Amino acid sequence: MLAPISWLKDYVDINVSPEKLAEKLVAIGFEVEGIEYQAKKATSVKTCKIVSVEKHPNADKLRVAQVDIGSSVIQVVTNVPVEGGEYTAVALDGARLADGHEIKRGELRGVLSEGMLCGPEEIGMTAADIDGQKEDDILRFPEGTPLGEDAAVALGFDDVILDVSVTANRPDCNSIYKLAKEVAVALDTECREPEIAYEATGDDVRGAVDVKVLNDALCPRYMAACVRNVKIFPSPRKMRMRLRAVGIRPINNIVDITNYVLTEIGQPMHAFDLRYLSGGEIVVRNADEGEHIVTLDGKDNTMTSSMLAICDAEKPVAVAGIMGGEFSGIQPDTSTIIFESAKFARDSVRRTSRALNLRSDSSARFEKGIDFASQEYGLKRALTLVYQTGSGEIGKGVIDVKVDYPEVKDIEFTTAQLGRILGCSVPKAKLVSILAKLGIPVTPKEGGKLVAHVPDARSDIDGVNDIAEEFIRVYGYSHIKPTLFKYAALTRGGVPRDIAFRNRVKEELAALGLNECITYSFTSPSFADKLRIPGDSELRKWVSLINPLGEALSVMRTVLTHSMLEVLAYNAAHFNKSAALFEIAKTYHPKALPLTELPEEREKLVIGMYGADADYFALKGVAEGLFAALHVEAEYAPSSLAFLHPGRGADVTVNGRNVGYLGEIHPDVAEAYGADVRLYAAEFDLEKLLEECTGKASFREFSRYPSVERDLAVVVSDEVPAGDMVKAALNAGAEDLTSAEVFDVYRGAQIGEGMKSVAMSFTFSSVERTLTDEEISSRMQKIYSALESAFGAKIRA
Amino acid sequence: MKAQIESIKQAALAAVSAASDTQALGEVRVRYLGKSGEMTSLMKGLGALSKEERPEMGKVMNAARAEIEAALESKTAQVAQREKEERLALEKLDVTLPGRQPARGTLHPITRVREDIVRVFLGMGFEVAEGPEIESDLYNFQLLNVPKDHPARDMQDTFYVNDSYVLRTHTSPMQARMMTTRKPPIRVVIPGRVYRSDDDASHSPIFHQIEGLAIDKHITLGDLEGCLLAFAQQMFTKDTEIRLRPSYFPFTEPSVEVDVTCAICGGKGCRVCKGTGWVEILGAGVVNPAVLEMCGIDSTEYGGFAFGLGLERIAMIKYGIPNIKLFYENDVRFLKQFNGEVEK
Repeated sequence: MLAPISWLKDYVDINVSPEKLAEKLVAIGFEVEGIEYQAKKATSVKTCKIVSVEKHPNADKLRVAQVDIGSSVIQVVTNVPVEGGEYTAVALDGARLADGHEIKRGELRGVLSEGMLCGPEEIGMTAADIDGQKEDDILRFPEGTPLGEDAAVALGFDDVILDVSVTANRPDCNSIYKLAKEVAVALDTECREPEIAYEATGDDVRGAVDVKVLNDALCPRYMAACVRNVKIFPSPRKMRMRLRAVGIRPINNIVDITNYVLTEIGQPMHAFDLRYLSGGEIVVRNADEGEHIVTLDGKDNTMTSSMLAICDAEKPVAVAGIMGGEFSGIQPDTSTIIFESAKFARDSVRRTSRALNLRSDSSARFEKGIDFASQEYGLKRALTLVYQTGSGEIGKGVIDVKVDYPEVKDIEFTTAQLGRILGCSVPKAKLVSILAKLGIPVTPKEGGKLVAHVPDARSDIDGVNDIAEEFIRVYGYSHIKPTLFKYAALTRGGVPRDIAFRNRVKEELAALGLNECITYSFTSPSFADKLRIPGDSELRKWVSLINPLGEALSVMRTVLTHSMLEVLAYNAAHFNKSAALFEIAKTYHPKALPLTELPEEREKLVIGMYGADADYFALKGVAEGLFAALHVEAEYAPSSLAFLHPGRGADVTVNGRNVGYLGEIHPDVAEAYGADVRLYAAEFDLEKLLEECTGKASFREFSRYPSVERDLAVVVSDEVPAGDMVKAALNAGAEDLTSAEVFDVYRGAQIGEGMKSVAMSFTFSSVERTLTDEEISSRMQKIYSALESAFGAKIRA
Repeated sequence: MKAQIESIKQAALAAVSAASDTQALGEVRVRYLGKSGEMTSLMKGLGALSKEERPEMGKVMNAARAEIEAALESKTAQVAQREKEERLALEKLDVTLPGRQPARGTLHPITRVREDIVRVFLGMGFEVAEGPEIESDLYNFQLLNVPKDHPARDMQDTFYVNDSYVLRTHTSPMQARMMTTRKPPIRVVIPGRVYRSDDDASHSPIFHQIEGLAIDKHITLGDLEGCLLAFAQQMFTKDTEIRLRPSYFPFTEPSVEVDVTCAICGGKGCRVCKGTGWVEILGAGVVNPAVLEMCGIDSTEYGGFAFGLGLERIAMIKYGIPNIKLFYENDVRFLKQFNGEVEK
């Protein structure tokens, strides 16, 4: 809400600076988002008099003027055909114009120019704002105007405009008058009422038009008045300037009056040309299904039966509360107008406006909600302005079709109740005086109770909590002192195990040297093709948005790998030689589409890396390090996932359950993501890891005797996975075997085609004694036999 | 023979004195005291002496031997000490060269801030909960006192899945989920991702909030202020102050905006706080009785407070991050900056 301080001053005396006023408004709940000084749109533009003019020696179209700016005379080169003797405005050296340009003294075609003559646009005005000002001309001031004054101030263009943020619970304050009432509360002073004073001399409005309201739920009040012998002319300058200050373009006296009332009283109005109201009737009814209306903006709208229309005897002439029909407006030859001042249901206006994609200042106002008193106030204020401007002859009477409504709502409460909510003491006298200032009279009732009589305009006030807020916002929040659950029970608090587990995983991964990242949850549907997800995969069932910010952000992801590959590629393209990252986030899996119940949201972990130190084993090392910390025993088997390198990917299982994958990304896929380096990634289901991890560290006795290490190199087929050999060795029944590890794999001519030599190291130790050579040898024999029978292993010659 | 002993002894002592390193000393030992060394050979000659001469000569010889041993030992110790000093001198490092650091990971600044905040509230008896990001219109709006076609819906630009489901626009729907499934006393904080269809220099369509809710028989606005003051002083500095300003949220009444004294200038006024000395950090209020009733809690018996704040905003203030876009670019040069911190 833009509020010119000059306009507020019509209703309340303001003796503080705009900044102080803003501060006071903020304190009672009206945030001031900006303060605009009209006169500061341009700087150093001063009134002046052209003393004398000569031709420019080097340019036909330029003139050289001597300009008196009061304190001195300066020389200005101009293309304006000045003759000398004119009173105008000049931008001096160092001036900043409304469009941001700066003026510097300098030579123009070899002649010094110390300024620039200015028109209205240079100081942020238009020609229409100034009586008698021609288009495309410099400013003209009357003879004898003091020189060297600020040009904007001299033109009365020196208002200060507050940009007030009005919260959704206070629709009434989207008006200068109601805001002035709040200003009066903030400044602890009185507020005046808008002037209502006109003489109705014409024939009664009821002879001109008949109003029928067929749906009083959507139109609880409809008022109308009539003005005959209308004269159309530009509004008085003050009205035009005020409208411009709040961002409304002045049109003519009648349209300007409706806009002025909308701004001042908060009541949207419409002026119908009586000639176009067929049958002299206004019928407020639901539109017929499919009924058309071409609105003022030239748009053809097809209405539905749930929308409210203002009609004449035959057809719709306006979409109620939103916009008039193309012929409903004021024409140059309009002679009789009917003013509409109505209350339309806010949700109906909102729905219709969105459905037709039709918006106006009026619909914006109705959508916020409007009280019952405004229709009469608005209509009579409009007639007062018609009377004051001599815009026509006002017909007697007004038409007022309305439902019964409670003008006042009573709320019973005690000061103790307020104190219990606020946590501070509530002095009764102070409370009563604050509420009175807010227009809410309070009367006492038996038993120390109080009754607040809340006017209809404050429909936001519903109960005791609202009364508490009205009191404290004026009394001041500084009266509340901080306490820590002074009267409440102790509670235990705590972190649920899935969140604690996630935090643990994050800490472990950071300890393993990875950096956490966070990516968007929505992405492009093309991710599934990029990752070569099979056509029938569940991962292609996703939740789509109906109003995304674009195709690239339109579906909720079902995997995290895609986002990780994008981040890796982004970093590789932005001069980062390496990266090792992880993210823990949700993926979204609808149970049915279209969505009829909440989708399943699964927590996933994705790891990604590239760079000199990144390879399959670096990635697997991170996974192993994490699993060790979580006490998870994972197994790895070659993967057939299509987005992985065919020979460098593993499916990961825990207790026989697939928990994810890890591996090198297929070079074609990496290329599709724009990465020119090898990418490595892993994705795990965090919920499954939590279910499968034992989670507990527990003590195992270790040997105090020397342990014995033995190596064994065997030749097996190249196809035998080393992991299986380790498993076979551990399960060979060799007692006291505490570890089995592969330390070398060798392929070469001596080993033979399709074969490899796998060198393994075994450690034995007993908690009871030192093992003998014979015992070790027999255990090694068991291991060898197991490898031989399982894989045809031969001792390497 | 005596003279011979004396002569060997003199020669040995001279050799000891002349030897300059461990190796030379070893050679001296072998030459004079070794198995076939000069002194040992002489020793073997004792047998040829008469019974009377033998003890006498044995004594002399042992004395000479002991003298050589002593000289050797003392010289060896001397040389070893010198050699050690030489080695240590050679081993001198340029201690200003950099060390070998193990790779060090980091948590995202949003995670750090989230956990910092959660920790403060855990200490005040709050539990932690999370909720669905794809949320029903019922929980995201209606149970929070925002019916369909209510002007308050304009306060948040919503991503819609369909008429009944949205991407949650705030963490507040979890207030309703907690109240409909739990009995008071309730004290919970709810961190999580939220979504608004707003994407410009100062907005991200995805961001993070943390919601707080406390419901009990007698909770006041003063308790809300106390809680938030404790939070602000833990998060920023011990002397941070807060102030409440009236505001509006459909699900709280009274509603307030909460400002903290600017962490940058300490309240004196600077660019960050636009010269006011205060920075707005969150919205809060007394839970609207209408919300309690809709969620099945008797508003005549119970009441409480709720608050919600944006984690990005807190992180930007705390770490001086100039642009919200940086959080989601995930450039490692950004991510690596948020290393361990020490609370002071």
